[in-house]
Amino acid sequence: MAEPRGGTEGRPAPATGFEKGAGPAGEPILEVSGLVKHYPLTRGVLIRKQVGAVKAVDGVDFALGRGETLGVVGESGCGKSTVAKMLVHLERPTAGAIRYKGEDVTRLSGKALKAVRRNIQMVFQDPYTSLNPRMTVGDIIGEPFEIHPEVAPKGDRRRRVQDLLDVVGLNPEYVNRYPHQFSGGQRQRIGIARGLALNPEVIVADEPVSALDVSVQAQVINLMDRLRTEFDLAFVFIAHDLSIVRHISDRVGVMYLGRIVETGTDAQIYDHPTHPYTQALLSAVPVPDPAAREHRERIILTGDVPSPTNIPSGCRFRTRCWKARDKCAEEVPLLAVPEVFREAGGPAAHASACHFAEEKRVVP
Amino acid sequence: MLLDVHDLHVEFHTRDGVAQAVNGVSYGVDEGETLAVLGESGSGKSVTAQAIMGILDVPPGRITGGEVIFRGRDLLTLKEEQRRKVRGAEMAMIFQDALSSLNPVISVGDQLGEMFTVHRGMSKKDARAEAVELMDRVRIPAARERVRQYPHQFSGGMRQRIMIAMALALEPALIIADEPTTALDVTVQAQVMELLAELQREYRMGLILITHDLGVVADVADRIAVMYAGRIVESAPVHDIYKAPAHPYTRGLLDSIPRLDQKGRELYAIRGLPPNLMDIPPGCAFHPRCPMARDVCRTDEPPLYEVTESEAGRGSACHFWRECLHG
Ligand SMILES: Nc1ncnc2c1ncn2[C@@H]1O[C@H](COP(=O)(O)OP(=O)(O)O)[C@@H](O)[C@H]1O
Ligand SMILES: Nc1ncnc2c1ncn2[C@@H]1O[C@H](COP(=O)(O)OP(=O)(O)O)[C@@H](O)[C@H]1O
Ligand code: SF4
Ligand code: SF4
Ligand SMILES: [Mg+2]
Ligand SMILES: [Mg+2]
Repeated sequence: MAEPRGGTEGRPAPATGFEKGAGPAGEPILEVSGLVKHYPLTRGVLIRKQVGAVKAVDGVDFALGRGETLGVVGESGCGKSTVAKMLVHLERPTAGAIRYKGEDVTRLSGKALKAVRRNIQMVFQDPYTSLNPRMTVGDIIGEPFEIHPEVAPKGDRRRRVQDLLDVVGLNPEYVNRYPHQFSGGQRQRIGIARGLALNPEVIVADEPVSALDVSVQAQVINLMDRLRTEFDLAFVFIAHDLSIVRHISDRVGVMYLGRIVETGTDAQIYDHPTHPYTQALLSAVPVPDPAAREHRERIILTGDVPSPTNIPSGCRFRTRCWKARDKCAEEVPLLAVPEVFREAGGPAAHASACHFAEEKRVVP
Repeated sequence: MLLDVHDLHVEFHTRDGVAQAVNGVSYGVDEGETLAVLGESGSGKSVTAQAIMGILDVPPGRITGGEVIFRGRDLLTLKEEQRRKVRGAEMAMIFQDALSSLNPVISVGDQLGEMFTVHRGMSKKDARAEAVELMDRVRIPAARERVRQYPHQFSGGMRQRIMIAMALALEPALIIADEPTTALDVTVQAQVMELLAELQREYRMGLILITHDLGVVADVADRIAVMYAGRIVESAPVHDIYKAPAHPYTRGLLDSIPRLDQKGRELYAIRGLPPNLMDIPPGCAFHPRCPMARDVCRTDEPPLYEVTESEAGRGSACHFWRECLHG
């Protein structure tokens, strides 16, 4: 059976997380549908020939409500950062739409694009490489004002930067210091301050605390939590640490090989997962409780994630799934509320891309 | 005791000054036992391990005191040639970054085989057969074919298995694993940790597992030693410490991690930052960050008090461990 090209064919209305009992009320601020990013694989030096594609993102749908936090989890290489980069326009999608307040950003250019970009800002993972070492903290945080001078007139910038430093818990006197004079946690605060400079409505945070030590991690998570309420921000929060994602998210999307395979509220995903991949992922997370050692069931997946250049037919998880049957190789499971749960409702009734979805509690 | 580290001191002499990286560390491991060494980055976990293994960068590093008693003899008094024999044959180390610890231009089979040709004087052919068997044992699929491949042809998880195979080759009595799964995804981490625990049981090795992950510790450790600024601040059987920590730093760490099984409120955050090792605060090194600190903490360095309420040797380097334990 042929695999759908671009990953967007043959699907009914995509599950965006806004179905019955799943999402927040009201219009989404950001709506992503059929998002695809394929990087061409070429061979040859003189005559470059495309021999395939890295299907980094292969059909992603989700929606984000105002002031809401969507957590995105998944193993490394599943396409999380690529999604993030497309959201903030650092990468152009191969296909699909990114709607900001109903308007497809991928079709905008010039002034209109600039206005939208201002409202969707990014915080990066690595506080060590994402800040220019030769710029002062003041210049780093104030840099967005160069592109959007309308937000802060020149004479007002220094004060604005100092306010931002204060907001993220750094001493406003530090404006003239350089990144190397700060610890990892402080640098991440600087990154957050820069992200806030233009008063965005959406922040895309790509593994913002992964590089930090536990005690510092807690400080930064609390800061983001506070800012979220204070500035009424919507967050796309990407991480591979499932505990952190639960802590911070209203809804969660689980990614595997370029697609979201399950999505729901944090309680639906963590306490009532129905997709085998989510179940395996959750069961593999070590919990800080030695008493859980004996009675906890572990699903140990065999093998590694397949290459995104060669995605399995049918269900992309089937090469590692202990429940796979013939149907799984033949038919692509769609991200929708599985029929078995549709009638009964309840917490298991959330979108899950599995032909044989079953509820299984794996978190102790 | 298989290994008994006693009052170890290590410092680094650099252009900027002297970093007091290890300041009187004592810990021990029995055969068949897993000791987890927990602490944030820079707390001296790896340097302690390097001193035990005899692979410290000297200079700038220097061992300024202490003993490393392994199977009855103090390794620090041995000549380098004797140490080299201990290394690999009697104790081995697994590092976080397998790719940079393996030689990129030698096939994994030859690297594994080298353990047998060099240490055991085996023929190349026999060594190759041993390599295949080892790869089988760490469950690398199609070992017979893959033995010819190079490190970059393996995934991160598979490379870490090769590192484990390499460490196991000569069936050492002690393995030190320094953040062996930190760079891996959780699903692969679970595979690797399960393998490590299984092999350790089978060979009855002592295992020192260095990590900053409280979840991993809870999963596999028998005992735990918490490090802060180059010292052990708490040492206890794993169940005790999670039930009731006897040191404010341990308590802070436990309270600051988000939980998978419940939606948290605000996380507890330990205020401030770990100290500069060139200028460790006097008294209790944790006092500038400690919510329980009093005057005495600023002047008197707490020894590792015996936590007398516990049966199985438990220690806390806090003047007020009793309050912490019951607080
Ligand atoms: N510029 C690029 N060219 C080719 N492949 C890429 C590029 N960027 C990312 N990829 C590939 O796309 C996949 C997804 O990467 P990424 O989005 O970074 O994943 P994640 O953030 O989930 O770890 C990976 O296989 C990665 O190697
Ligand atoms: N090669 C080195 N040169 C100079 N200082 C070093 C070196 N290795 C370690 N140190 C010092 O020792 C401290 C502790 O390091 P380490 O044991 O690696 O910490 P960790 O607990 O993260 O493993 C470091 O913060 C550093 O100050
Ligand atoms: S569709 Fe089949 S292979 Fe895919 S997750 Fe469900 S059971 Fe497993
Ligand atoms: S000795 Fe004092 S400062 Fe140190 S941990 Fe105990 S209470 Fe805190
Ligand atoms: Mg990424
Ligand atoms: Mg280390």
